[in-house]
Amino acid sequence: MSDKHKQLIADYLQGNLDEKGKKEVEELLAKGEVDFIDFRAMEQLHDELDLIQVPEPSSEMSRKFYTMLEEEKASAKVSIRGTIRDKFMELINEISMPRLAYAFILLIIGGFIGGQINSNDDEISELTSEMQSMREMMMVSMLEGPTTTDRLRAVNISAQLPSADEKAIRALLFTLNNDESINVRVQTIEALTRWGDNELVREGLVKSIMNQDSDIVIVTLADAVVELGVESSAGEFQRLIDEKDLTLTTKQKVESSIAVLL
Amino acid sequence: MMKVKDGDLDKLGLLYERYNRSLFSFFYRKTRQPQLSEDLVQSVFERMLKYRTTYSGTGAFTTWMFSIARNAHIDHYRKEKRRKEDEILDEERIEGENPSGYAELDERSRKRILLEQALDQLDDDKKDVVILSRFEGLRYQEIAEIQGVSESAVKVRMFRAMKELKDIVSTLSEEYTNE
Repeated sequence: MSDKHKQLIADYLQGNLDEKGKKEVEELLAKGEVDFIDFRAMEQLHDELDLIQVPEPSSEMSRKFYTMLEEEKASAKVSIRGTIRDKFMELINEISMPRLAYAFILLIIGGFIGGQINSNDDEISELTSEMQSMREMMMVSMLEGPTTTDRLRAVNISAQLPSADEKAIRALLFTLNNDESINVRVQTIEALTRWGDNELVREGLVKSIMNQDSDIVIVTLADAVVELGVESSAGEFQRLIDEKDLTLTTKQKVESSIAVLL
Repeated sequence: MMKVKDGDLDKLGLLYERYNRSLFSFFYRKTRQPQLSEDLVQSVFERMLKYRTTYSGTGAFTTWMFSIARNAHIDHYRKEKRRKEDEILDEERIEGENPSGYAELDERSRKRILLEQALDQLDDDKKDVVILSRFEGLRYQEIAEIQGVSESAVKVRMFRAMKELKDIVSTLSEEYTNE
């Protein structure tokens, strides 16, 4: 049998063939160029491979992984601190006494000028707050836009807000529960995750679980609540598994998220 | 993974939750040793942290992950070459034996034993192609990237692996039935 025929059969087994490809296989079988009995046996064996079972890994595997991760995080922190300290010491060593005196004088002058400008601080903070509320208004109105691009842009504007008020959060939660675009909903989850400390956001994410049908959105939502440690979402995810017909991969993902949350 | 690369190490926890079972299954199907499979999963995530700066984000994450997994498995057996030789001797001895109570088993269990033993007898490259394509759902192109060969070579490997499996299952079945 030629390599071309072998490749064709491999593609058939993986379900990669279109109608034309399938017809080509049928013709090879009909002409006897590929042995029909061999082919059927291979096809059957490919299906039967599902009989091979795999046990569940032990909980010790996860414990070891998270211990390793914590150790790595701790050593990364130490190494960053060490680098900053080394750089600082290098800088100090390079500075001579006259330079240090010059820097001190500059510091005093800076402090004096800063004191004069301080009276304008209230105005600046008022302006900043106005800018934020304008951005929020723009975001809320664009979330109602007719095109997906508009709504995605609106969600991205939310990323520029240092904090969000109740109105902005409610608008994003409404989008999460009702927007027809999967991309918009996924981006909305990521935007909301930034304010994961806010109780309204946490409750909203939990309540939206049962509203979702898209696998991608469900998986993103599962990742978000695991990241935020929203333990109360485990019950809703269990309900989702019980009541909705999820794909195997999504179901496994949701199950592993529940296991992490509990 | 890009976030892990940028220093957000907590995100590795999410990757672990998403892929640990898949990796465990991959190693278990290759070795049929649960403890070793768990150790190798740990080794893959350690390597992900160690080599995180080399992750380019251009290809599929699973391709990168299974390349690391494949190397972890190869390195493990290189390091314990002596032990490996002993294990091969053990496997050969077991493969030739009729599993106890084979005749009393139902059809499904018999088939499962035959398939497990047949898969064990494939060489590593063929075994990887079957496991990654049939169980982990990777496309031939992705497996080709992992194995560093062309896509057509992977397809030919898959065909040969399936044919070999069929022949081994048939031989073992005859042996066990006659014994």
